[in-house]
Amino acid sequence: MMKRFFTILFVLSLIMVMPIHAVGFPTKEVQVIIPWAAGGATDLIFRALAATTGKYLGKAVVIVNRPGGGSAVGYTEGAKAKPDGYMLTSGVTPLTILPHQVTTAYTYKDFDPIINVVSDPSMFLIRADAPWKTLKEFLDFAKKNPEMITVGNSGAGGGVHLVALAFEKAAGVKFNHIPFSGGGPSVTAILGGHINAVSVSPPEGISHVQAGKLKILALFAEKRLEMFPNVLTVKEQGIDFAMGMWRGLVTPKGTPPDVIKKLHDAFKQGMDDPVFKKNAMDMAVNLSYLGPEAFGKLMAREDEFFGKLIKEIKK
Amino acid sequence: MFESVQQLASGFTIATTFYNLFYCLIGAIVGTLIGVLPGIGPIAGIALLIPATFGLHPTSAIIMLAGIYYGAMYGGSTTSILLNVPGETASVITCIDGYQMAQKGRAGPALAICAIGSFIAGTIGLFGLVFLAPPLAEAALAFGPPEYFSLMVFGFIVLSNVTGTSLTKSLMMAIVGLIIGTIGLDPVTGDARFTFGSVSFLGGIEFVAVAIGLFGIAEVLTNVEKPLEMLEQRVIVPRLRELYPSLQDLKKSITPILRGTGIGFGVGLVPGPAPVIATYSSYMIERKISKHPEEFGKGAIEGVAGPESANNSASQSAFIPLFVLGIPFAPPTAILLGALLIHGVTPGPLLISQHPELFWGVIASMYIGNFILLILNLPFVPLFANILRIPKKILLPLIILFCITGQYTVNNSVFDIGIMLLFGALGFLMRKWAYEGAPLLLALVLGPRLEVAFRQSLMISHGDFGFFINRPISMVFLLATVLFLVIPLIRMTLKKQRRGEVKQ
Repeated sequence: MMKRFFTILFVLSLIMVMPIHAVGFPTKEVQVIIPWAAGGATDLIFRALAATTGKYLGKAVVIVNRPGGGSAVGYTEGAKAKPDGYMLTSGVTPLTILPHQVTTAYTYKDFDPIINVVSDPSMFLIRADAPWKTLKEFLDFAKKNPEMITVGNSGAGGGVHLVALAFEKAAGVKFNHIPFSGGGPSVTAILGGHINAVSVSPPEGISHVQAGKLKILALFAEKRLEMFPNVLTVKEQGIDFAMGMWRGLVTPKGTPPDVIKKLHDAFKQGMDDPVFKKNAMDMAVNLSYLGPEAFGKLMAREDEFFGKLIKEIKK
Repeated sequence: MFESVQQLASGFTIATTFYNLFYCLIGAIVGTLIGVLPGIGPIAGIALLIPATFGLHPTSAIIMLAGIYYGAMYGGSTTSILLNVPGETASVITCIDGYQMAQKGRAGPALAICAIGSFIAGTIGLFGLVFLAPPLAEAALAFGPPEYFSLMVFGFIVLSNVTGTSLTKSLMMAIVGLIIGTIGLDPVTGDARFTFGSVSFLGGIEFVAVAIGLFGIAEVLTNVEKPLEMLEQRVIVPRLRELYPSLQDLKKSITPILRGTGIGFGVGLVPGPAPVIATYSSYMIERKISKHPEEFGKGAIEGVAGPESANNSASQSAFIPLFVLGIPFAPPTAILLGALLIHGVTPGPLLISQHPELFWGVIASMYIGNFILLILNLPFVPLFANILRIPKKILLPLIILFCITGQYTVNNSVFDIGIMLLFGALGFLMRKWAYEGAPLLLALVLGPRLEVAFRQSLMISHGDFGFFINRPISMVFLLATVLFLVIPLIRMTLKKQRRGEVKQ
């Protein structure tokens, strides 16, 4: 009896500590760091993509949530990871924003681009029973009552926070910005009526708009959404403003090019999988494929844009 | 109501098909194993097995993955009872009396009561899920930052003295926990705090590492200090008929189980640290209303039955926000949310109406799963209880090995092993001077959330502290906290006065 127990224990401990040496990539599951809490837009999209990509990669893609510090925790960890292709990070707009606002241990240059997956406009959501029927009423109220309207975001210095800051500048008003630890918690807060509006980007809150609990107050897009053709963009309402989020995958700088290629090819196949396409459509996200080179250029362009914008806002 | 029953019946037809029963069984077995092994928790377990569900029908996939989740909740208490090693947040409290029961040769009844309590809690929890899900989800939304803050304050003050030893020492430990909780990045501004320039500290101190250190490692160190002859000994080995709870044990446990179920179900709706608050509250209440509170901490079966049931029903009600709102309040349900997406099901307020077969099938399978787990776990009791036949001189090094490998599997982090060993040494010293580890762990979990809720509230109210009192739910919690602190003082003054009168 005891002997058997020890044998089992021994085998178990071996399994637990067995080191895995790479022969042909990948030999073990690939992890993707999401620098936000579960349930936010980035989290939802990459969980869906991870699922379909696994079968093309041959190994599972595992999502790891590392929330905190408005994404700084996750990106720091991602940048310091071994550049072997087993620890990827979701490269999202804040990667080119946060380093301009606070001192971070990383910039977008510490990562190699793999693929861009989606590109979405941002929006403000309010409760369906909110006192404001139109964007104009909302902004009129905000003008008369500066810093009184509470606008939730998914983390200080995060993408949708900056969108809200940039929008108040464009519209000439002042909001009271409340940071949450991700899109999930901020949407929960507006559903409970604890804040007046929330700055999100699809798919956050979309299912609640469909269910009639929330409505889109302001859409910061160039053109209207296919899913909600009746919702006007803010441009159509006379405010020249459009801003969005892109979400892709990056790996620590110095990852071997053949590994990046393998990852890119697998994730591209995962993107083209009909199951993922249906998921993306249900979540109302806008698929926007870019290869490593084009994605790298996009990040460089955005980094420059946000650098300027933040300097202007801080003035 | 009638409609719910009808749909539940159709759910049972779906859940009892051969394939779904099979996947439910697999989920329950894997979940139990994951729960028994320290370190690997339900989150890692579900994440690892999601790819295995690719080819399955969505309902079968969710049935299996949900089985892993609540199966792990069943198994989680095993190492707490046998080895004093809490594998996850929910089983910290079980260490206190569960381990003492095992040391007295009553590991069998302790393990069995966990399974029975979990089964009863799971069954009642499911009825709550079937009939109350939509209104409860709405109620959960009433908790905004100020309510959350006041609940945390209440939990922090009331629960920090959970074991009922010295209030001063408990509060001291809670403050140490709060301080440790501030390590990492500031949740509002993103600035690094107390990281001493090290990247490893940025993500904060890992809870499981502190818990395993303070309980498991410290226990081993305490034992090592004992005279050599004692290490040759074994724990008292139970006789076969003592392996299962006696009628008296069951009688003692039934009301704690029911109370624990109620507490767990309510607390499970609160986002975040629900398992911790549920188990601590249940233990606290059982100790307070017990006729023999002196037995708590020395192997009271109520101190195992209540919290374990609370933990299980909290894991059931955690499904409510997921299914009704599409918002995961806890990491394990977040993984399940991902699993739903993979199978082309978009979680959200429309899930129940758009995919009734999935919702009701999964609910029915959870009931069946609970039953399978009970049948599965009870025969394991003698097997697990026999682990304690191993002489301590062999068992103790094995526990250390188990702790280290288990901790490593959580994040694959050597840094976390260091943290665990550091807290093991600290826990050893704390035992010497009779400081409790439980309040420290509570504060470590609640502290960061308390801080965020506090700062969010003040940002919303423009720095007005009246915000916390003006909101009814928030005020009730604050009032309860004040009463909790003031009543003992009043009692003490009254006693003194009375004594004074007698003297005169």
